[in-house]
Amino acid sequence: MSVTIALPSKGRMKDDAMAIFARAGLEIVNIGNERSYRGVITGMDGAEVAFLSAGEIARELGNGNIDMGVTGEDLVREDLSAADERVTFCARLGFGHADVVVAVPDVWLDVDTMADLGDVAADFRARHGRRLRIATKYWRLTQQFFSAQHGIQVYRIVESLGATEGAPASGQADIIVDITSTGSTLLANHLKILSDGIILQSEACLVRSRSDVRSASDEVLLDDIVQRVRTIAA
Amino acid sequence: MLNQPKFADDIMTLFARRKALPVHIPVIQPADPFLDMAGEDLRRRIFLTESETGESLCLRPEFTIPVCLRHIETASGTPQRYAYLGQVFRQRRDGENEFYQAGIEDLGDADIAKADAHAIRDASDTLTAVLPGIELHTTLGDQTVFEAVVAALGLPDGWQSRLIHAFGDPVLLDGLLQSLSQASGKVPGIDDNVAALLDSGDEAGLSKLIDRQMVATGYMTNASRTPAEIAHRLVQKARLSNARLDAKALDVLKTFLALDTPMRDAADALAAFSRIAGLDLDAALSIFNARVQALESAGFDLSSTRYRAAFGRPLDYYTGLVFEMSAQGAVLAGGGRFDRLLTLLGAKAAIPSVGFSLWLDRIAAAGAVKSERPSQ
Repeated sequence: MSVTIALPSKGRMKDDAMAIFARAGLEIVNIGNERSYRGVITGMDGAEVAFLSAGEIARELGNGNIDMGVTGEDLVREDLSAADERVTFCARLGFGHADVVVAVPDVWLDVDTMADLGDVAADFRARHGRRLRIATKYWRLTQQFFSAQHGIQVYRIVESLGATEGAPASGQADIIVDITSTGSTLLANHLKILSDGIILQSEACLVRSRSDVRSASDEVLLDDIVQRVRTIAA
Repeated sequence: MLNQPKFADDIMTLFARRKALPVHIPVIQPADPFLDMAGEDLRRRIFLTESETGESLCLRPEFTIPVCLRHIETASGTPQRYAYLGQVFRQRRDGENEFYQAGIEDLGDADIAKADAHAIRDASDTLTAVLPGIELHTTLGDQTVFEAVVAALGLPDGWQSRLIHAFGDPVLLDGLLQSLSQASGKVPGIDDNVAALLDSGDEAGLSKLIDRQMVATGYMTNASRTPAEIAHRLVQKARLSNARLDAKALDVLKTFLALDTPMRDAADALAAFSRIAGLDLDAALSIFNARVQALESAGFDLSSTRYRAAFGRPLDYYTGLVFEMSAQGAVLAGGGRFDRLLTLLGAKAAIPSVGFSLWLDRIAAAGAVKSERPSQ
C-alpha cells in the first residue's frame, strides 16, 4: 500500500510547502533529478510525492486520485461541488493568503453592501436591457454567494481568465469576483470591495481526500503527516 | 430516449379539448434566454454545450420560455393557448435527469381572473383524469396582494421594490424585514465633498461629480450604470438611511405573511386583515375575489385548496397568481402568472400570460403507488 501526497510544482507555493514539510521533519527528495515531478519522503516508506499545479491538486483530491495535497482553499471550493463531503481541510498553512471578494467600481457611491448590489441587479435589465454582468473565473463560489447566500438570482457571469480587474473599466462586465491579497490591483483599477463582500478568506491548506477504500496502515501514515504538519503550522 | 408515459396521449387529448394548440419545441435550445430569465443558478442544473460557432446551447430544461419565444418569433396573434408535452433535462438531486413535462401556456387573455381560473382548473382536471380518485391538495398564492399591502403601507419606493423582490424567498424576506427595522445610519464610504452635495440634495451636482470621476479613472460612462443613475440611487439611499420600518408596519407585514387559510375563507380573511390593519387593498382584493368566483363558475372544487399569503416565486417575471398541486406529499403540478416574461423576452407589447406544468414522472409514481394499494 502507498499514499500519494501532492505538492505545488512551482513558485512560492512550492517553496513554502517544501519549507513547512521540512520543518515538520518530512524531508522531500526528488526522484532522479531536481526537476523531476516525483519524490519520496525520507524515512517514510509508502509515501509518494507528486508535484502538480495547484489547480490540478484540487481536482485530483476531488477525484480521489491523490490522498493528500497542499493547495489553496479557493481552488478546492471552486473546483469541487460539496467540497466538505469529499475532502477534509486538515491544517491551514499560513501562506498563499488570498481573499475571494466582490468588487464594484469605486464610483458606485451608492453601493456598499450585497443588499445594495441586490437592488441594482433587480432593476438592471429594466434600465439597461441586459442583466448585471460579473466577470470572474470563480463560477461556483460566485453562484453560491450570490444565489444561495444573498438571494440575488438575476445576473450573468462572464468568464474571465485573466486581468479580471480590468473588465469593468473596459465595459466587458459591471463588477468582478476575484482574488486579492493586498488589494492594490483593485485600487489601481478603481474598484472597491463591498463591506460584506468577502466570499472566502483563502490560504494554502493541507487537504486530505475522503476515501472509503484506503487501508488502515495508509490512514495511519496520513494521520502521522497531518499531526507533524499541524504542530508546525499551529 | 425515455418512453412516453402511457397517459401522455390522454393528456394531449384533454389539452386539445381545452382549445390549446400543440406546439413542437426542439430539444436543443440556445442557453442564453434560460440563464437570462432564471439566473446563473440554473447553469449548474442544465446540460450545456457549445455550437461550432461558440454559441451556448442546452438541452431544453423547461417549456415556458421556448414556447413564449416561439410565440414572439412567429408573430402569432393573441389570445392563444399552447399545449406541450415532451422531455426536459435538468440535473436533480432526487429523481432522474430527464423526465417528461406537459402543460398549457395561455398567452394574451385580458380576462385575468378567467384565465387564472382556467389554468388551475385545467391542471386539476388533467391530474384527476390520469389519476382518478387521487386526493389533490392545491396551494395558491398571489404576489399582487403582497404588492398591494406593501404599497398601502406607504413604504418608500426603495423598500417596496426590495420587499417585492424578496417575496417568495422566506429566508431573504425575513432577513430583509429585520434589517429594515433598524436604521442604517450615515451612508458609508463617501467623502466630505459627496456628503455635502448629499446634504443639500443636489442630485445634478452629484451626477456631474460622478461623471468627472468616471472620465478621470477611465471608465466608460455609457457602458454600465450611468452617473445619473448612481446619483439618483445615492440620494434615495441617503433619504432612507435614517428611516426604519416602524413596529406597526413590521407587525402588519408579519401578520399578512402568516396568513394560511382554506380558500373558501380567504376572501373574508383578507378583508378582515385589511380592516384591522387599516389598509386599502380594494383593487387587489377585487382581482383576488374575481378569481375565486371564476374558479367556482369554472366548476373547480375549492374544498381542498388553501391560500398561503407568503407563497410566491422569487423570480422577477412572475407577477400575480402562483399555485401548486400535490398528492401524497409530491408536487405534481405547478403554475402561475408571468405577465412580465414576454416583454423581457422581447415582445413589443405587454402580453398577460398564465400557465402550468405537470411533472409526468411524479404523476406516474403517484399512480403506481395508488394501484399497489388494495382496493377498498
